[in-house]
Amino acid sequence: MEDWTYEPAQDLNHDFATRLKGFPREPHMWVYALRSAAAMLIRGWLRTYHRFRITRLGKLPESSFVMVANHQSHLDAPCLLAAMPLRRLHRTFPAAAEDYFFSNLPRGIFTSIVINGLPFNREAKGAQSLAVCRELLSTPGNVLILFPEGTRSPDGTLGRFRSGIGRLIEGTDVPVVPCRLIGAHDAYPKGAWIPRPKPVHLIIGEPLRFGHLPKGRTTVQTIGDTLHRAVSDLKPESNVDPPI
Amino acid sequence: MMQSLWQSADPILRAYTLGAVILLVSAALLIWAVALLTKKDLSGVWRTYRGWLIMVPIAFAALWLGRTATIVGLALIAIVGFKEFARATGVYKDWVVTGTVYLGITALAILTAIKDPRTGDLGWYGLFMATPVYVIAALLAIPVFRDAYKGQLQRVSLAIVGFVYFGWMFLHLGFLTNSHHMYGYLLFLLVAVELNDVSAFIFGKTVGGPKLRPHVSPNKTWGGSLGALCVSLTLPWLLHASFPHFNWHELVLTGLIVGIGGQLGDLTISFIKRDLGIKDMGAVIPGHGGILDRVDSLIYVAPLFFHMVRWFQGIH
Repeated sequence: MEDWTYEPAQDLNHDFATRLKGFPREPHMWVYALRSAAAMLIRGWLRTYHRFRITRLGKLPESSFVMVANHQSHLDAPCLLAAMPLRRLHRTFPAAAEDYFFSNLPRGIFTSIVINGLPFNREAKGAQSLAVCRELLSTPGNVLILFPEGTRSPDGTLGRFRSGIGRLIEGTDVPVVPCRLIGAHDAYPKGAWIPRPKPVHLIIGEPLRFGHLPKGRTTVQTIGDTLHRAVSDLKPESNVDPPI
Repeated sequence: MMQSLWQSADPILRAYTLGAVILLVSAALLIWAVALLTKKDLSGVWRTYRGWLIMVPIAFAALWLGRTATIVGLALIAIVGFKEFARATGVYKDWVVTGTVYLGITALAILTAIKDPRTGDLGWYGLFMATPVYVIAALLAIPVFRDAYKGQLQRVSLAIVGFVYFGWMFLHLGFLTNSHHMYGYLLFLLVAVELNDVSAFIFGKTVGGPKLRPHVSPNKTWGGSLGALCVSLTLPWLLHASFPHFNWHELVLTGLIVGIGGQLGDLTISFIKRDLGIKDMGAVIPGHGGILDRVDSLIYVAPLFFHMVRWFQGIH
């Protein structure tokens, strides 16, 4: 008789704190339930308190893709998550700086359970974490949310894009969706304690593909520049708002 | 208030609570003294001790809160225990199968807590014993409803083993709460099973002898096993006050069930873990591993003890 093959969870003998940081995360029934409930609460809160609106200029790809956006506030990741259909919620991973979002237990619990954050190690140019991201994108249907500025903008202006996004995308045909958040800085700037009831507007652009470019340093630069321009070109008045 | 609570409590619960406090304090003093005298690093021992320091008060809190809290606590252990098993085997990835077993365990807890509608006795005995029929029927129907067959036998089989062993057999312990002697039975079993484990370890280290089951658990020896059996056979006589209505043959049977059943329970989890290729079933209790690593012996002992008691004394 053939032996059965078992698939023990990878994080079986890890303690709670290590399991939070571990990636890819093992699917967990209770976590999914909590995350779905939290997502609906957050969406309701964003819509009422921040009068959150989404303008969609393009359709989100059904395959795996990367969402890039300007980074002004801790509201950014919840806003981008709110743009995803609930069925894709558990497969959408905002990259979250490991040194900040996993630095203590309550933050780690929030980041991994509610936000589904991917622990991103910003040291050594993130080479190791980029490998994790690449692996993630190789599974169809996964979505990676990335803030190429690497940190929140202190004054709300769009900063320089780091090379990470280019190095992640070069040589692949993974679609990248540029997004722009307007108002998040006023609503919840860096250093503020509680969010203010200011409106937040999310504009989602057309997906871009870079598969035709050869691998190399110039391509990394081109991808970064193209996306930077695409994000800053998204203007609020460029389209009529369809219903959310 | 505290005093009246203490005085109105079951004398057996009071005695065991006092014993647990004394045991925890003296264990701390002992470890501290050994650390001081031998100057060895005992951080691993302290870790295990801290685990006990969390588990023992939780267990006693549930018992002091009474029958319902105890049933709920045991059902939670069964659910987390099954979850560990499901995660270790991979069944957990099938949420319908896992959820069905969770529902089955919840049903067991409810059946334990309510009255038998026919007789009015606490705990619906007949349906509790028949629960596996319905859970197994439901589990086997899942692949049919799905219209899928690939790998379905494996997950359904594993779920049945998991439900019957970690859910149903373990929750016989919960059904004991329907007895007038609930505190005596439960506390004796908890203490006896732990002492059985500890004496197997101590006799194994001091007496040793040939290996008990070299493939399943290479560190256990015949010396440890027989030493533990001797301790377990004496214990019912020493703690006879837990069940004053027991005759001599019930005391002997209790000793045999704990002494042999406890070790078989331990070895059962060992072979399961070895087949799965894992070290511990989980990591919920620091210094102890998973919840199943802690209650392994109890699972095996609980139903055997329950049916022995029911046969000779009735359960109420």
